[in-house]
Amino acid sequence: MLLFIARRLLSAIPVLFVVSLMTFVIMWLVPGDVSAEIGGTDATPEQIQQIREQLGIDRPLLERAVNWYGNLLRGDLGHSYLLNRSVVDAVLERLPVTLSLAGLSLVLATIMGTLLGILAAVRHNSWVDQGSMVAALIGLSIPDFWFGLVLIILFGVTLGWLPTGGFVPITEDVLGWVRCMTLPALTLAFTQMGVIARMTRSSMLDVLDQDFVRTARAKGMRARTVIFKHALRNALVPIVTVVGVTAGVLLSGAVVIESVFSLPGVGRLIVGSIQRRDFPVIQGGLLVTASIFVFVNIVVDMLYGWLDPRVRDER
Amino acid sequence: MTMLGTKRLTSFLRTLTMTSVLALAAVLPTGSAWAQVAGGELVVVQGSNPPSLDAMATSSGASRNINLNVYETLYGFDENVVPMPILAEGVNISEDGLTYVFPLRQGVKFHNGDEMKATDVKASLERYLKVGATPNLEPIEKIEVTGDYEVTLTMKRVTPTFLEAFSNPRSPAVIIPEEDINAEAGKTSLVGTGPYKITEYVPDSHVTLEKFADYTQDTRYAGPDGFGGKKTAYFDKVTFRIMPEPGAQVAALEAGEVDILDQIPVPAARRLANDANIKLYENLQWAFGTLILNANEPPTDNVKFREAVQVALNMEEIVGIASEGLFAANGGWAYPGTPYDVGDVGAADYYNKHDAEKAKALLAEAGYNNEPFTIITDNTIPFHGRAAVVIAEQLKAVGINVVINQVDFPTVLNLRMQDTGWNGWTLTMGIEPYLGPVAIVSTLTGKRPHFVKHDPELEALYQELITGATPEARKATFEKVQKRLYEYFGIIKLGDTGQMQASRANIEGFKTFRIPRVYDIWRAN
Repeated sequence: MLLFIARRLLSAIPVLFVVSLMTFVIMWLVPGDVSAEIGGTDATPEQIQQIREQLGIDRPLLERAVNWYGNLLRGDLGHSYLLNRSVVDAVLERLPVTLSLAGLSLVLATIMGTLLGILAAVRHNSWVDQGSMVAALIGLSIPDFWFGLVLIILFGVTLGWLPTGGFVPITEDVLGWVRCMTLPALTLAFTQMGVIARMTRSSMLDVLDQDFVRTARAKGMRARTVIFKHALRNALVPIVTVVGVTAGVLLSGAVVIESVFSLPGVGRLIVGSIQRRDFPVIQGGLLVTASIFVFVNIVVDMLYGWLDPRVRDER
Repeated sequence: MTMLGTKRLTSFLRTLTMTSVLALAAVLPTGSAWAQVAGGELVVVQGSNPPSLDAMATSSGASRNINLNVYETLYGFDENVVPMPILAEGVNISEDGLTYVFPLRQGVKFHNGDEMKATDVKASLERYLKVGATPNLEPIEKIEVTGDYEVTLTMKRVTPTFLEAFSNPRSPAVIIPEEDINAEAGKTSLVGTGPYKITEYVPDSHVTLEKFADYTQDTRYAGPDGFGGKKTAYFDKVTFRIMPEPGAQVAALEAGEVDILDQIPVPAARRLANDANIKLYENLQWAFGTLILNANEPPTDNVKFREAVQVALNMEEIVGIASEGLFAANGGWAYPGTPYDVGDVGAADYYNKHDAEKAKALLAEAGYNNEPFTIITDNTIPFHGRAAVVIAEQLKAVGINVVINQVDFPTVLNLRMQDTGWNGWTLTMGIEPYLGPVAIVSTLTGKRPHFVKHDPELEALYQELITGATPEARKATFEKVQKRLYEYFGIIKLGDTGQMQASRANIEGFKTFRIPRVYDIWRAN
């Protein structure tokens, strides 16, 4: 297992290198730079040039890339042009928000999606199946910003039960954290559960038709045991894949939800930096995001082995 | 007691209570004179992060909103945009106009507890010359400490408008401790002399200010006036929350989680107009909507073509749609009723004419042959994109081949720096009209006029404007400037656009201004 993890970690290096190189090239191709944000609309070409020189963004792409990779090897992701802090600090201070949002919504989406999918598969072709899949489809189809605003108006404004936005760290106030994370996590979970529900349904339908399920039923095993212990366990591999992809997406920042609920997460940091052309934060933030994706994929691969001994043996 | 009796009693009590309230209202002083309540927290919402809390190093409005509650300048604008002393006692200008002596107020404390002295002022102004975001202090040749509480500035040349430039809040020449003199832009200790001090900044979340207990009030005045005056901090804590989504901002205000919205969408304001829990504030003189034409690129290099664009446009439609209805159709380059307002001089024959026939005739005269007319615009400021779409439709109707290139704001700022490749650029000018004619004309002259190609006549008028000895002389020059703008057609005034703000009904003392002043406001019990 250790060898497997080491191999996967090593294979991540070229992936991360390509990601960072592509970011470099894309940001180089995009017109405009941070000097516009600093100088404003009335800046003269001389002022813009002066800002570019001060920040070193007038230097050739190759020189900047070599400097950046050199610093990266020393563990330095650079310094934000605008946030007055290092990129590492800027990303690290956003991570609790992103982890809170991703963690809670992933748990909710997985529970709701899996149960909905199982229900649909077990009551295949019934109104329960149709109803579950309509609910999943609604979750997939409705825009998350709209759903978020509806929840804000209902629970924040009309009923006054939950705050309309903002973030309270769990270390400061557990109840405050739960209150401020409930609506954004529910919004994200509702929009993400559709994929999990559909995958669970189709995977469960495949498994429920198999001989070992029929045997389990024939020997008089309780329906709940058949479904959750035998069928679901065998249907889990594709579900885990979907959950893994969802986790990667959520961990890299749910920009829209972060904006609607005024959450200072990693997604808003990166998008805001792109809008302001804060290159070091874009570069560093995307590298961290890509690393999270790679890490989640490794965890998913490890889970495959745990769920299915055949995969473990192949390794 | 019967039910009927209870109702009668209740009705009687209600009548008695109402009568008492009316009687009290007649006897007690009106308004805010007796009602100020100290303490508590105020939450103000704005849509974007302050790029910097180093006041002199940024010209961003999001920064200014916060910084001008924290830092102060020697001179600043009063409510009528006239320079007034704030940290200075006054100014003595030599007869030759080359020396400015600023005696300082004594006993003014910085947030770090030190007293502000002339050495701090010298250090701050010297730092401004290095990192300041505007060239406002450029006319200064020498800054000298001529006493513990006196600073003398020697000018390179006579600049009658220097005091206005020195008072400019755009990137204010704030006074900070001498220790920060060598701090790079954005890396000061965030210490000022204002009624609030900065305690925390979490980007994309909030900036927290705390009441400065040792704040030295300027007792020369009765109350706040513009950026100066006697300021009183009532709230113990003020939080500027950064909320990018307007819908969420409005919901937070309705839920009572926040107290003031620096900007509320006009449709939302209309919906809340009858809500007893919300107060709305309308500021019609907030910004100029403009369309800038590139005088260096065909077909807009031809003045007849630019004139055709001017006469083709229906400004009420453009600004009405772009501002969601909060606007004034004003072709003048100063707000009505302000000191430099010269009415519709030059504008009468050209502004808001939507004269398709005349436009077509001018296009024929210009020899226009269906060349593309490219408008660059952005989606960051909704007014820009919306105005571009309406302008495009109106110009297509007179036969102009309009192409809209909508990108993000940094890209627009990059494109407009190119001499070619664009013809029109939609831009709202916010702070410039507030600052007055010099600020507006400076963007159209100098090293890089907005419309790319220099207009020698306007350049000469700018020099006449900045050297005009008296306000009357400068106003006379500005009249010529406005006339010239309606001959050159390098920039087209679309109209005045407003800003709508909102607060909870229990917030007292708040007045709409260039920044949300968080002092001299309080929460009613």
